[in-house]
Amino acid sequence: MEDNFFYAANYKGSKDYTQWDVPTANATGFGAAADDYAERGIDLNEQLIKNKPSTFFMRVNSDAMIGAGIHNGDVVIVDRSLEAKNGKVIIAVLDGEMLIRRLELNDNKKRLLPATKKLSAIEINESNTFSVWGVVTYVIHSL
Amino acid sequence: MKAIVDCNSFYCSCEKVFKPHLEGKPVVVLSNNDGCVISRTDEAKRLGVGMAGPYFKAKEIIESNNIAVFSSNYNLYGDMSMREMGTLKDLVGENNVEVYSVDEAFLNLDGFNGNFFNSAMDIRRTVEQWTGIAVSVGVAPTKTLAKMANHIAKKNKTVTQCVTVLDSREKITEALKKTKVRDLWGVGSQFATKLSSYGITTAWDLYNLSEEWVRRYLGGVVGVRLLKELHGEESILMDKELINKKMITTTRMFGNPVTELNDIKEALATYTARAAEKLRRQQSAASVINIFVVPKEENKNPTFRHGPMIGTHTILPSPTVLTNELIKPAMKMAERIYEPGRAYKKAGVILSGLVPDTSIQSNLFEPPSKSVGRFLMEMMDNINFSMRDDVVKFASTGIKRNWKMRQEFHSPRYTTRWEELYKVK
Repeated sequence: MEDNFFYAANYKGSKDYTQWDVPTANATGFGAAADDYAERGIDLNEQLIKNKPSTFFMRVNSDAMIGAGIHNGDVVIVDRSLEAKNGKVIIAVLDGEMLIRRLELNDNKKRLLPATKKLSAIEINESNTFSVWGVVTYVIHSL
Repeated sequence: MKAIVDCNSFYCSCEKVFKPHLEGKPVVVLSNNDGCVISRTDEAKRLGVGMAGPYFKAKEIIESNNIAVFSSNYNLYGDMSMREMGTLKDLVGENNVEVYSVDEAFLNLDGFNGNFFNSAMDIRRTVEQWTGIAVSVGVAPTKTLAKMANHIAKKNKTVTQCVTVLDSREKITEALKKTKVRDLWGVGSQFATKLSSYGITTAWDLYNLSEEWVRRYLGGVVGVRLLKELHGEESILMDKELINKKMITTTRMFGNPVTELNDIKEALATYTARAAEKLRRQQSAASVINIFVVPKEENKNPTFRHGPMIGTHTILPSPTVLTNELIKPAMKMAERIYEPGRAYKKAGVILSGLVPDTSIQSNLFEPPSKSVGRFLMEMMDNINFSMRDDVVKFASTGIKRNWKMRQEFHSPRYTTRWEELYKVK
C-alpha cells in the first residue's frame, strides 16, 4: 500500500441493506409488474448524514440565525469533518461558548455574522480563543 | 507495524466536547454511584486528585480548586467510543482495527510503507477533528512495544505531540531503557515485584534476559511471549472482536445502603432483567444463575473496603433466555440470603453455563409455553431498545426503585437522546 493508505470517509449510517430488504408487492393475482421496478426506499439517515462518526445534532436555542431559516427550537445537523469555508454556517467556539453563526473569512479578518438585525457581527481578535466546532449541513424545522 | 490509539482521559474528554469552556481546566468523572474518581484530566492530576480514590477523600481538593465534577454518563461515552472506533475503521479499514477497550484500539499497519510518524499524526488529528476526542498514538513492531510507545507519548505530551513511533533498533532500545517493567503491558504489580526481586527494573533489563531463564523463572509461556514481543517478534496477534461472552454479569452499588428485603428483591430483579437482555442479544441461553449481595461493614472501616460477598446459585432445569424464568429463582435465592437488620450496599447477578440459543430453539419437545415466552421477550426487547428506558418491564423490578444509583452530576445524553440535545445560542 502506498501513501493513500487511508480510506475516504464513507457512509456508515443505515443498517446493512441487501436485496432481500427491497419490498415487493407480493400480489397474489396480477400486478407484479411493479416488482420489476422495486428498489429500496429513501433513507433520511443516508441522505442527511454523510459521515456518521463526525455528525452530531444540536438544538437551536436563539433567533440568531432566523434570517437564514434557522428558527429557535430547530434541530441542526453538524458535521465536524467538514472544512469551515467562507460563508458557511458553523458552530463556533468563542471564548468557551458555543455559537451558531455564519463564518466570514476576509483576507486576515474573521467575523461571525448573525442572521438578524437584533444582534451584531462579532469580529474575532487575537485576544479571543476561537475554534470551529463543526459545520452546519442541514436544519430540521417542524411546521 | 502495530499501533495503539488511546484516548486521553476519555470520559473527561467526552464531557469537554460539549463544554468547551472546560478546555485546559481540571475535570474529573466519578464512577457509578459517584463513588470514586475514574477519570481525570492532566490539570486535575497536577492538583493532586488521585485515580480510583474515593470521591469523599478528593472532595476537599475538588471543591477548593473548583474542579468540574461529572457523574459517569455511559450513554454519552459509549456513543463517543463508537464514533472513535468508526473513525479509525474508516481510516485504516474495518479489518485492521481491534477494539481493545472503550477508549483503546489496536491498528494493524502491516503492509503500509509510508512515514509512520506522519500517518500516526494524521490518525490523531482526524480522530480529534471528527469526534472532538484527543488521542495518543504509539506505533511499533509489536503490540507490547506499541503500548510502550503510547505510554511514552502520553507522558510528555508537549514534546511528543501525543505520538511516538518506534521504527528503528535505536529508538526501541532507548525506549526500553527508560521504561519501568511495571509500566509494560501485561505486567501486573505482583509480577513487577517478582521481577524487581531479581534486580529487573527496566524493560531493557528484561529484554537482555535469555529465553531459557525467562521460561524457567518468569512464568513460562507468558514470560517468553513478553520477551519475544520486546524483541520485536509478534507473539500477541490481532484479535477478532470478542462477540460472545462466557458469563454475563450485572452488578451495581446502591445509591444508599438498603435494608429492606423488598428493595433488594427489586434491585436483583432489575439486574436479572438487564442480564437476560444481554443474554438474548448475544443469542445465548443460561444454565446457571448466581446472585450475590455485599453487606455494609459494621465497623466503620476508614480504608473504604467492601464487606464480604454473600452469594448463592441455582442450576436451572434447562437453559433459558426468558427473564421470568430467571427472575423466579433469583427471588427465591434473595429470600434465602437476606438477613434482616443488615444494611447492603451492592448486589449483582451472574448468568453462566451459557449455550447457544439455537440449541434449544430447535428442540421439538419444547413445551409451547416456551415459544410464547420467547415471542414475548422479543417484543419486550424490541420495544425497550427502540423506546429506551425500559418502557416495558416486569413488575418485580419495582416502580419506586429506592435503591437506584446516586448520580448528582450527570450531564445530558447529548448524542443519544433527542430531548437532551446540546442547546446552541
